[in-house]
Amino acid sequence: MTEGQFFKAASPQEACDLLAQYDGKARLLAGGTDLMVAMNLRQQSPEVLIYIGDSDLNYIKEEGGDLVIGAGTTLSEVLNSDIIKKSAPLLVKAVSQMASVAIRNVGTIGGNLANASPAADSATALLALNATLKLVSKGGERLVPVDQFFTGPGESVLGPGEIIQEILIPAQVNGTKWGYHKIGKRKAQSLSIVSVAICCSLEGGTCKDARIALGAVAPTPILASVAAELLEGKALSEGLIDETAKAAANATSPVDDVRGSAWYRRRASEALVRKLLAQMSV
Amino acid sequence: MYPLELTVNGRSYQVAVNVKTTLLEVLRDQLSITSPKVGCNTGDCGTCSVLLDGKLVRSCITNALSAQGKEVITVEGIAKAGELHPLQEAFHENYGSQCGFCTPGMILASKALLDENPNPSREEAKEALSGNLCRCTGYVKILDSVMAAAEKMGGPQGS
Repeated sequence: MTEGQFFKAASPQEACDLLAQYDGKARLLAGGTDLMVAMNLRQQSPEVLIYIGDSDLNYIKEEGGDLVIGAGTTLSEVLNSDIIKKSAPLLVKAVSQMASVAIRNVGTIGGNLANASPAADSATALLALNATLKLVSKGGERLVPVDQFFTGPGESVLGPGEIIQEILIPAQVNGTKWGYHKIGKRKAQSLSIVSVAICCSLEGGTCKDARIALGAVAPTPILASVAAELLEGKALSEGLIDETAKAAANATSPVDDVRGSAWYRRRASEALVRKLLAQMSV
Repeated sequence: MYPLELTVNGRSYQVAVNVKTTLLEVLRDQLSITSPKVGCNTGDCGTCSVLLDGKLVRSCITNALSAQGKEVITVEGIAKAGELHPLQEAFHENYGSQCGFCTPGMILASKALLDENPNPSREEAKEALSGNLCRCTGYVKILDSVMAAAEKMGGPQGS
């Protein structure tokens, strides 16, 4: 058995170079809250680890009205950021219900996305916020909207030599309202059974650009686009909310697992969308 | 094997580790610092918690090499010579420890809280300790201990 190799990348570019060099054999290590668990359980045994905890991927800034979050930003840093509290409070709310202090202190937002769990809570929030990911590789960079990033449980469009450099969240228009609700087995340290995030402009009482995101109810975090379109240009009446909640539940394709049944997940999706829209309507 | 240098409880150490070695393995197996316990080994239970550069982390899922050059505090390092830390005193006086397996993690999670927020509400203390499991279910006494320690330590303005 090989002993394995460990590299510390000083920059995203160096990490990309190393990934290219060890084509397919290397794994990125940031906070390790997913990878080290998998290694302890002997589910994964990478030959090469590239540590990116010190790679200049840790920043939060505003650029031309957009919010830019470096992929190596820890969940605790997201939670404590005044900039994010002001411009994307939905993300702060979602992150505040993830894991626990010790995990949030090292777990990164980019890692949560790259791990591509259907229950990744930051993904649900970022889908609703219409975020885009900047992916970099040795060959260059590309922008991928979060709703095109995930391809299946644990799978994404991220190429073997590619890393997530940053997350771009467009400025929310005036009058944007949002809602978030997560159901887990317990409050702390538990994965979502269902999570729902909604963003919608309600300027002048009519809905515009509604986005309804659901987590842990499909092979990937999803946008319920058909449901969201029902809201376009209309006022949030009780009847419309009901119709939208049903359409959102129809967008799900949940599975039975240890955390909850498919039946429950579908029902809870509908109930949460109804509840959040009702809260947003007042 | 790779050389690893780190400071634990104010003392410098040099050890050799491989790419899979965890910080918990270094502490327990190489340095014989055994207050951090092996519980779930998946980051869920909190009994392996240590402070890494002042922040609460799970040593069982901390890659040892990612702690290169950093400073680790375990519960052995929070007492001054011959004098318990107020948190240790409070856990002792308020029966905050039953079997004791979770206690080092509980005390460090509490210390991380009080370092940032010297006057927490009981609700804030609950939230801060929510990632640490006590299978004796002694949570009420544990929270009593944290609140007593906060009072003992006097908060920011000694109020």
